[in-house]
Amino acid sequence: MTAITTETRASTRRADTSVRRSLPIEVEHLTKRYGKRTVVSDLSFVARPGRVTGFLGPNGSGKSTTMKVMLDLAAADAGRVTIGGRRYRDLPDPSATVGALLESNAFHPGRSGRNHLRILADADGITLDRVEEVLELVGLGDAAARRVGAYSLGMRQRLGFAGTLLGDPPVLILDEPANPKGIHQMRDLLRARAANGDTILVSSHLLSEVELLANDVVVLNRGHLVTSGALGELQEAATLVRTSATERLGQVLQAAGAVIEALGDALVVRGMAMNDIGQRAFDAGIAIHELSSHTGSLEDRFLRWTSDQQTDGEQSP
Amino acid sequence: MTWPRLLRAELRKLTTTKMPWAFLTVLVAIAAINASAVIWGTDFDGSKGFISTAADQRSLIAFAANAVMGAGLFGAIAVAREYGHGTVIPTFLSAPRRHHAVLAQLTAVAIGGAVLALVGAALTAAAVAAALPTTEFGFMVSAGGVARVLAASAFAGAAGAVLGAGIGAVVRNTGGAVTGVVLVLIITPPLIVQLISDASTWVPSPLATALSGVSPQAAGVEDQVSAPAAILGLAVWALIPAAIGLLSVQRRDVV
Repeated sequence: MTAITTETRASTRRADTSVRRSLPIEVEHLTKRYGKRTVVSDLSFVARPGRVTGFLGPNGSGKSTTMKVMLDLAAADAGRVTIGGRRYRDLPDPSATVGALLESNAFHPGRSGRNHLRILADADGITLDRVEEVLELVGLGDAAARRVGAYSLGMRQRLGFAGTLLGDPPVLILDEPANPKGIHQMRDLLRARAANGDTILVSSHLLSEVELLANDVVVLNRGHLVTSGALGELQEAATLVRTSATERLGQVLQAAGAVIEALGDALVVRGMAMNDIGQRAFDAGIAIHELSSHTGSLEDRFLRWTSDQQTDGEQSP
Repeated sequence: MTWPRLLRAELRKLTTTKMPWAFLTVLVAIAAINASAVIWGTDFDGSKGFISTAADQRSLIAFAANAVMGAGLFGAIAVAREYGHGTVIPTFLSAPRRHHAVLAQLTAVAIGGAVLALVGAALTAAAVAAALPTTEFGFMVSAGGVARVLAASAFAGAAGAVLGAGIGAVVRNTGGAVTGVVLVLIITPPLIVQLISDASTWVPSPLATALSGVSPQAAGVEDQVSAPAAILGLAVWALIPAAIGLLSVQRRDVV
């Protein structure tokens, strides 16, 4: 499979980088219902410029719905989403501001890859030369005249990705854009764009895909925010605490701002230094049997967060 | 600036798949059937009375009623497949105020429907004219008559395509949209006439025939509306589904 090459300044229509706008995606108390079913509930987070934000959650967790609301393809029941402070529909030139890939198979199978992109270019007022540029960029130059129906899955994913790059937008919103191999191929290009100040939001139901490229992550489960923050911080080791007063110590530490997670008969504590945990336990008169660093993998935690299918409406730590 | 861009994109959508060629094949087949009818067809009495006058020949080449139906299917398929394939999503991303996109889509299918109908009418007229020398009759329709048949077909094709596109936008499923067009253009008109007998001249096929300038006698009807009324009538038949489609697209989530 052809690698997606890193886009160079010379190959784009991009204006002077110094005037390229920084546009955060801000989701504020978003709620979306379909009938009586709440698909997204009071969701708030920010995808920041200069960062690749991984939008994670199992299938059906509300990621795609959130992205559709971002792009005014679906209406919110409460809350709002803005891009650079404006709703998508109020952006002066929406498709030149945001490149979006919502369905990686949204093509007419009888149309060639080149014509698919030419249609997008026509609609967005982009020159046809740019179509050839992005076809080369994603490694589809030789296959551009072939029907999309004859493309492999990977080629279709790259064609979809090419469509998002046509207008060289400062914001990319990509919903499950590729398989793990494809993500690996996109990584350099997405990171380069983020380094240039672009805002990039990539959804996936697999942490391992997004872990390759994300700076920040937002984790969603059953429409609720589970956690968000810098990937590096979430990857930091936590502290394992064993005590006979698990419940009471948990309350003490939570009251002090720590994030507590039960692990068998022990507690996994995040957001609090080990010596602080020990001091607070001592102050509360709680005997500690073990106080050690805990290095459970992020994948384990992600699976625990997102496999909590029984606690509808409740947030994991 | 948005609308001309969107129209260009919609026209490119229509011309970059095999669908127009499939419709063109059908048009060639219809023209061939008409030519065959001229060469081998007879009235019940064994005569060639059905092509013996200019009015009869004009009735034979009048393509507008076929154009409404054919272009209706064209418009319905063109729009409904957008939803089926998901290609409507980038369109709405380019035009988040969706009425721009829908109006561009309606305009593009109207142009496509008019062109297909014009080609169909021209092929039919040419086939009939080419077949007539095998009979004792020459081609008797005046140049003005042919021009009116062509113009009526083009208008009827545009109207039919807009009607079909409106149904396609509401139904969003190709099979369902095709069924909807058949219901509206074939099943519903006789029901309307049964309920309101005075409406018999205001259903699509008689309106298209009247617009083509086919005389009531040649068309086998008692009464006909005027050409301007036929234009208005066909426009209403087209615009009602189109307006419903426009409203539903604006209100609905894209899921």
